[in-house]
Amino acid sequence: MSAVTLRNIEKNFGPDAKVINGVDLSIEAGEFVVFVGPSGSGKSTLLRMIAGLESQSDGDILIGDLLANDVPASKRGIAMVFQSYALYPHMTVYDNMAFALRMAGTPKKEVQQRVERSAAILQITHLLDRKPKTLSGGQRQRVAIGRAIVREPQVFLFDEPLSNLDAALRQDMRVELSKLHQELGATMIYVTHDQVEAMTLASRIVVFDAGLVQQVGTPVALYENPSNLFVAGFLGAPKMNLLQGTLAAASSTMAEVVLPGVGSVRVAVDATRSAPGDAVTLGIRPEHLQLSAGHDGSADNTLAARVDLIEYLGDHLLAYTSITGIKNGLCAKLAGHATPLRTGDTARVHLPPAQCLLFDAAGAAYPRIQ
Amino acid sequence: MTKSTMRSRGLDLLTWAIVLVSLLPIAWMLLSSLRNYSDIAAGEQLSTSVELRWQNYRDIWVNVDFFNYFKNSLIVCGLTTLISTACAVCAAYALARFRFRGSNAFSLSITVTQVIPGMLFFLPLYMLYRNLGQSYGLVMLDTYHGLVFLYVALFTPASIWIMRGFFVSIPRELEDAAVMDGCSRFGAFVRIVLPISAPGIIATATFVFLLAWDELFFAWVLTSTSDVQTIPVGIRLFISQFQHRYDLMMAAGAVSTLPVLFAFFAGQRYFIKGLAAGAVKG
Repeated sequence: MSAVTLRNIEKNFGPDAKVINGVDLSIEAGEFVVFVGPSGSGKSTLLRMIAGLESQSDGDILIGDLLANDVPASKRGIAMVFQSYALYPHMTVYDNMAFALRMAGTPKKEVQQRVERSAAILQITHLLDRKPKTLSGGQRQRVAIGRAIVREPQVFLFDEPLSNLDAALRQDMRVELSKLHQELGATMIYVTHDQVEAMTLASRIVVFDAGLVQQVGTPVALYENPSNLFVAGFLGAPKMNLLQGTLAAASSTMAEVVLPGVGSVRVAVDATRSAPGDAVTLGIRPEHLQLSAGHDGSADNTLAARVDLIEYLGDHLLAYTSITGIKNGLCAKLAGHATPLRTGDTARVHLPPAQCLLFDAAGAAYPRIQ
Repeated sequence: MTKSTMRSRGLDLLTWAIVLVSLLPIAWMLLSSLRNYSDIAAGEQLSTSVELRWQNYRDIWVNVDFFNYFKNSLIVCGLTTLISTACAVCAAYALARFRFRGSNAFSLSITVTQVIPGMLFFLPLYMLYRNLGQSYGLVMLDTYHGLVFLYVALFTPASIWIMRGFFVSIPRELEDAAVMDGCSRFGAFVRIVLPISAPGIIATATFVFLLAWDELFFAWVLTSTSDVQTIPVGIRLFISQFQHRYDLMMAAGAVSTLPVLFAFFAGQRYFIKGLAAGAVKG
């Protein structure tokens, strides 16, 4: 296994088409790093540059100690699993898995041993004589992973490998990938736009937007302490509730935010870098909102609301509320499978100060006080 | 009978009617090829009292040097198919995979060549061929290579479009995977893309062979001796100023259809697949 280091990577597809804007990133050997971001954020392009399928316009890529800028893809010690599996349709599973080894001139006996060993790990030994068109989606996925494993690479790259599978199979494969990472201990870089995959698989997540790294950290760190509005809004389903307001007062432990037409809310952050009167955005995740029946909205950090819709989702439910003065209303995630609240009821929404986040006008988060 | 069953039966009937209408000229040709000259002149193709004249099929080889025309057609069409398909495969791959300066203009120019009627350039072409021989010693008239060169130029553009559709339908990730596995770009083309494209290549080759086999107009203009004349010209020669040997002409037509039928049925599966490639998202 090798570390991967990216130094000031840039990629232009033309004078006005800059897709990667200077990415610096260090991935430790044996880490499982997940790149997430919306379509067009540059995550797949960056993965292809690490693979050697695209060249960077500027910057350096190091794989272990090897400066890989001009090293051909096949010499980088990297294997890649593609979104469409990219299995060679005219070859059997065995030949698909053996192809890279044969290209490298590996002795026939060793090829056989390595293919059989990889097939055994993935439990696809019985498929070795079959052509890809006779396999199910899950089996093809295993073969694609097997084709990567057989090369015994330093780094595995995965480009949205589960996106063509149905929900149940995707969950199974997710678990298998995690186990595979533990078993092989190899460095893995995984691109997805699926937050669940990112949160469950990653030892660290890298969030991309507009060709820039927005934040790097563990799944919990990114979820609990997003560094900016983009990360806060991107991670989490349902999305974080965001309310526009004005900073009324700030100390090193608490900030008071005025929500126009609603009232003021206290937030446990250090907002001393801003001055009263500055525009801010208050954020709170749906599961942190406390919703209860009643009319009184005058209590501390509590707003009067009306329940617009309740969605039952088995182990939890979502309540969509509207609040006079707030444009999009608030979404609350409630544990359990029942609530006394009904559509049209008036309710109280409590925003615990310690669970609220606050972002300045540029979108950068204020440090939380916990 | 439900409405949908009636509709289905109606469509079946319509299909059979179209098939019958399409096969009628072929049946007529086969019937005529087994009649003698005077029976055909009397319009007695369908008469059951007339004896079948199988010797027509012998006479075209004995009385006329039909074997020679057959051989010429095989040489010209074989070479045309080989060269045109090879050129089309390379050009189509470049158009399907690479963006380069002038690629759009090149694609457009390929389309434009297909809408220019051959009548417009047969005279300049004939003069060009004659001048190449007279002025530069490069004999193009009455030669295999003269015909092959023209046919390659005529049929390659359409072949490029067929092959391009096929290459576009092959996921680019397959080539990326091959590159990751140690192939060069050219190696990925040879080891992965070409084997996968075999149906398209067979379809294109069949298409070119059929077009070249049937071509009469330019073969008639550019050849004047039986040493290089192809079957369509040979068949045409059964009609002379004083005698129209429709019996032999029909027998020769029937025989000349055999390689075409063979080529089509051998490549039929690929032919339809090749023409439809890229039409739907697979």
